[in-house]
Amino acid sequence: MAQAQIRENSILHGDYHKIVFAAPEMAAKARAGQFVHVRIDERLDHVLRRPFSIHDTDPQSGTLTVVYKVVGSGTKNLAAKKAGEFCDLLGPLGSTFTACADDVIPVAVAGGYGSAATFLLTRECKQKVVLLIGARTKKELVLDDAYRACGCDVRVATDDGSCGTQGRVTALIAPLVAENPGKKFFFYGCGPLPMLLALAKTLREMKLDGELSMDEIMCCGVGACFGCVVKVNDLSSPQGWHYERSCVEGPVFPLEKIYLEQ
Amino acid sequence: MADLTTKFASLTLKNPVTTASGTFGYGLEYADFYDLKKLGGVIVKGIKSAPSDGNKMPRVCEVAGGMINAIGLQGPGVDAFLHGEHYLPALKKLGATVIVNMWGTSVGEYADVAARFDAENDGIAALEVNISCPNVKAGGAAFGTDVKRASEVIRAVRCAVRKLPVIIKLSPNVTDITEFARAAEAEGADAISLINTLSAMAIDIEKKRPRIANVTGGLSGACIKPVAVRMVYQCHKAVKLPILGMGGISCGADAVEFLLAGATAVSVGTANFVDPYAPLKVIDFINDYLDRHHHKSVSEIIGALEL
Repeated sequence: MAQAQIRENSILHGDYHKIVFAAPEMAAKARAGQFVHVRIDERLDHVLRRPFSIHDTDPQSGTLTVVYKVVGSGTKNLAAKKAGEFCDLLGPLGSTFTACADDVIPVAVAGGYGSAATFLLTRECKQKVVLLIGARTKKELVLDDAYRACGCDVRVATDDGSCGTQGRVTALIAPLVAENPGKKFFFYGCGPLPMLLALAKTLREMKLDGELSMDEIMCCGVGACFGCVVKVNDLSSPQGWHYERSCVEGPVFPLEKIYLEQ
Repeated sequence: MADLTTKFASLTLKNPVTTASGTFGYGLEYADFYDLKKLGGVIVKGIKSAPSDGNKMPRVCEVAGGMINAIGLQGPGVDAFLHGEHYLPALKKLGATVIVNMWGTSVGEYADVAARFDAENDGIAALEVNISCPNVKAGGAAFGTDVKRASEVIRAVRCAVRKLPVIIKLSPNVTDITEFARAAEAEGADAISLINTLSAMAIDIEKKRPRIANVTGGLSGACIKPVAVRMVYQCHKAVKLPILGMGGISCGADAVEFLLAGATAVSVGTANFVDPYAPLKVIDFINDYLDRHHHKSVSEIIGALEL
C-alpha cells in the first residue's frame, strides 16, 4: 500500500482517461494482467476502493499507468484529480498473464478498453504482439495506436463497421490463424463478460489456447470478502464448477478453467 | 502506554481489537500487510460442516456510507479449515489468536460443528456462533430472529462444547435485541457479539433490477455505527455477559464509542476492505486515548459512559 502522487491525469478521448502514478515499487513488480486497487477519495459516498488494470509501467521513472473510462461517480472523481495530488494504491494485485514461449505468437484479444490490461505483454513477450480489438464504434477503440507505436499488428472489428471489419472481434481469429499456417498462437483476452465467454467458446472450438482476464465487481481486492467470485470448471463437483476469487486466483484464468455459463 | 490487555470471558486478549468475521477472510489474506499477532484476535469467515458455494453474483454493492453484501457464507467446510494448508494450520504458525465463526442449517448441524471444533481445538481460542447471517436461506438469521429457535441453538451448542468459550453473534434485525442477549445468557453462552449486518436493499433504477443477485443483503460500514452503538449500550444494561461490539467501526474513535457503551472488545469489519491497516490504527488510537484521559488500562473505560 502506498500514497502515490499523480504525475499526469488526462483525457485520451471521449470518456477514456489516462492517469500516471509515481509508484516505484509497484512499477517494478507489476506484470501484465495485474491490477491496482485505488482509494479515489475519502468521501462517505465512495467508501470502497476501485480496481483498475495496470496499463503500463516504467520501472526507470518509477511510474505506473492506468487507463480508465468514466462510468460512474467514482471514476468521475478520479478524472477530476490533478497532477500533484495523491491516491492511496494497493498493488500490484492478482494473477498475471503468462508470457508465451519465443516460438509462439502472442495475440491480445480486447473488447473496448480491455486493451489496457494486455498492453504490458508488448514488453514481456519476445515476439510482436498481435492485437485483435473490438468495439461498438470507432469512437470506443482505445489504445490501438499505442500498440501500433510498438510495432504490433493491430486488427480492428466494430459492431457498426465504422472502423476495420464489421462484426465481432472473435471473427478476426480464424483469418489470423489461416494466414499463418503451421504457427503456434497463445491468446490473451480482456473485455466485457459476454465477449470473453464468446472468445472462450471460439478458442475451444478452434483448439487454441490462452488466458482470459475475468474481473468482477470488487470489494477488498485481496481475497478476504469473496465478493468478486467467478465460476470455474470443476469436474469433481456435481454441478461442474466452483467459485474462485477474481482478485486472487484471478483476474487472469487459464482458458481451460473458464466456465461458459457465468 | 496504557495496558491494553483485555479479559474477555475466559480469554485474555493482547488488546481489545479483533477483525469481524467475513471481512478478513481466513486471516492469511492480510498476513502480508502486518503481523497478525498484533491483533487481539482474528475472527475467521463462517465455517459449516461441508464446503458451501455461497450466493450468485453480483454479491456486493456500494451505498452511501457503506455497502450491502450477500456473499451467502461461501466457505471450505470444517475439515478443510482444520487441516488445509491455507487455513488454521497457517494461522497457528503465524501465532494469531483465532476465533472461529461457525454456522449450520439445523440445530443438529450447529451442535456437530461446534463439537468438532471443541474436540480439535488446538490453535482455536473461541467459537463465535453465527445465528444472524441475513443472506442464507436456511440457518443464520432464521435462528437469530426467533428467540425460541435462538435459545435451542445456543443450548445445543452449549451442550456440545466443553472447552472453548462460546460467543453468540446476534442479529440487529429484531424488535428488541436484548431479548436475544438474555436468551444467550440464560442458555449459558460465555459472551455475545453484535451487531451482524442490517437487512437492506438497493436498486439499479436504469436496469430496474436489484443491485445484488440475492435481492436483499446485509448493510455494513460507517452508516450502521449509531445503530450498533445503541444496541451494545442496551445489551450492556440488560446482561452481564461480555460484549464483542462491532458495526461500522472505521477508526479508533468509533471503537472507543463501543467500549464506552459497554463493549469489552471490538471488531473492525468493512473498514478492512478500505484500509488493510485499519485494525492497527484502531489499536494505536485506543492507546493514545487512554493516555490522554489518564487511564491505566482499557478495562477502565468499558461501559464508562456518563449519563
